[in-house]
Amino acid sequence: MVRPSGGSARVFELPADVPASSVEIRRRTGFVSEDKDLIDYMTVAEIVRFTSAFYPRWRRDLEQTYLRRFELPPDRKVKLLSRGTRTKLALLLALCRGAELLVLDEPTSGLDPAMIEGVLQALVAHAAGEGTTVFFSSHQIAEVDQIADRVAIIERGRTLVAGALDDLRERYRRVQLVFDGAAPAAPFRAPGVVRVRRQGRVLTVLSSDGAERVLDEARALAPVATDVAPMSLKDIFLETVAAEE
Amino acid sequence: MLWRKAWVETRWRALIGLGILLCAAGAMVLVYPQVMRLVPSVPPDDGSTITRQIREAAALMRDYRGYVFAQWFRQSLPQLWTIMAALLGSGGLLTQGTALFTLSLPVSREQLSRVRAIVGLGELLALAIVPTLLVPLLSPAVGESYPLGDALLHALCVFVAGTVFFSVAFLLSTAFADVWRPLLLTLAVAVALVSVEQLLRTRAVHGIFGVMSGDSYFRTGRLPWLGLSASALVSLVLLWIGTVSIARRDF
Repeated sequence: MVRPSGGSARVFELPADVPASSVEIRRRTGFVSEDKDLIDYMTVAEIVRFTSAFYPRWRRDLEQTYLRRFELPPDRKVKLLSRGTRTKLALLLALCRGAELLVLDEPTSGLDPAMIEGVLQALVAHAAGEGTTVFFSSHQIAEVDQIADRVAIIERGRTLVAGALDDLRERYRRVQLVFDGAAPAAPFRAPGVVRVRRQGRVLTVLSSDGAERVLDEARALAPVATDVAPMSLKDIFLETVAAEE
Repeated sequence: MLWRKAWVETRWRALIGLGILLCAAGAMVLVYPQVMRLVPSVPPDDGSTITRQIREAAALMRDYRGYVFAQWFRQSLPQLWTIMAALLGSGGLLTQGTALFTLSLPVSREQLSRVRAIVGLGELLALAIVPTLLVPLLSPAVGESYPLGDALLHALCVFVAGTVFFSVAFLLSTAFADVWRPLLLTLAVAVALVSVEQLLRTRAVHGIFGVMSGDSYFRTGRLPWLGLSASALVSLVLLWIGTVSIARRDF
């Protein structure tokens, strides 16, 4: 849909910016846009029939399953669907293609909590059952934390953090050092230090490589107390973006 | 499915246009007796341009074949058909809120453009031929006859030469995200061409509307091959540029 301004990408070992391979990539990929672009003048049944014609591996069984589970009215025009129902229809059209890769742009935006849960459950079940790779973007950290295996945090076109979510949770640590007097303005040379923050008597060190080496370096500063805490994905996001700025 | 989608998205414009053209063709035939009663009351030549033009038109309509040529192939059909060509050429991916959905399908942009162009041209071919066929069919109702072959050849002249306007609208629709600007700009081009032709008095021989009307075929029995070929070539080039424009655009 857009041409790259730089860099390169390959999907299914095919260059993503070559028109000929782009068609093959799209044949094996399902995409849901942020605005849930669909063909408004068609009914639910018509758009399902229209879309299925382009995918030889269209899954009729999944189509029936999701029509029932998402309670999609077959004879209703797409333009008359509510936002939540429209999202579910867009997901159905992506999930039933027999795609090896799903690319979802803010799949739960505008949905109420119950619908969000339903959509996330459907995605997890589909990925697990069909072996599909799901690539989704979201500003809802809690959702990403809930279902993602691997994450990347992108700020202004640059990847700040990338890796398996469990690995990130293991490696990122917040180390708080409390001092008698004002916290010293000490630079930390330990590898993996992302950010150091001084607030009065407290020195907080964010590390992406565990706490051991930070603690080793901190002993020389003689803090009266230390605390090492794990970080949630939200914390990692906020701290790395703040450090970037 | 792409073909059906392209048809569904343009069918009301095409069908309404067909209805209008059929009514115009039918009315043109059925009012022939009344028009013929008015021909003798043409004013005498007083040297003015308008009188000369009225007398020329009246001379052209001295028989039924001339009447059909003057009223339908030189006037009503090219004018109405050009409006339909501009209307059917407008639209496309940019005007649809479905662009991202359509582009996510495993079809190339060239294929999308090609389907849209072919469906539009097919509709325009029908709009040129079907109403024109009404002329030989309805002529006996006014006690006249009109050769089917002549009707078809004139209709084909309208179609082949007039595809330029469809192609202009098609190209403009790759630049504007609304239907109206390609439509109005294409009509502006048509008006400009008519004005230039009238100023230069080249209509009968070289002008696009002269080629569309099949003026040379009416007068000499020879089709305007050069004009038709040039129009077809220009149309193809404009369609190609429009296709390339869509292929290179970011959405």
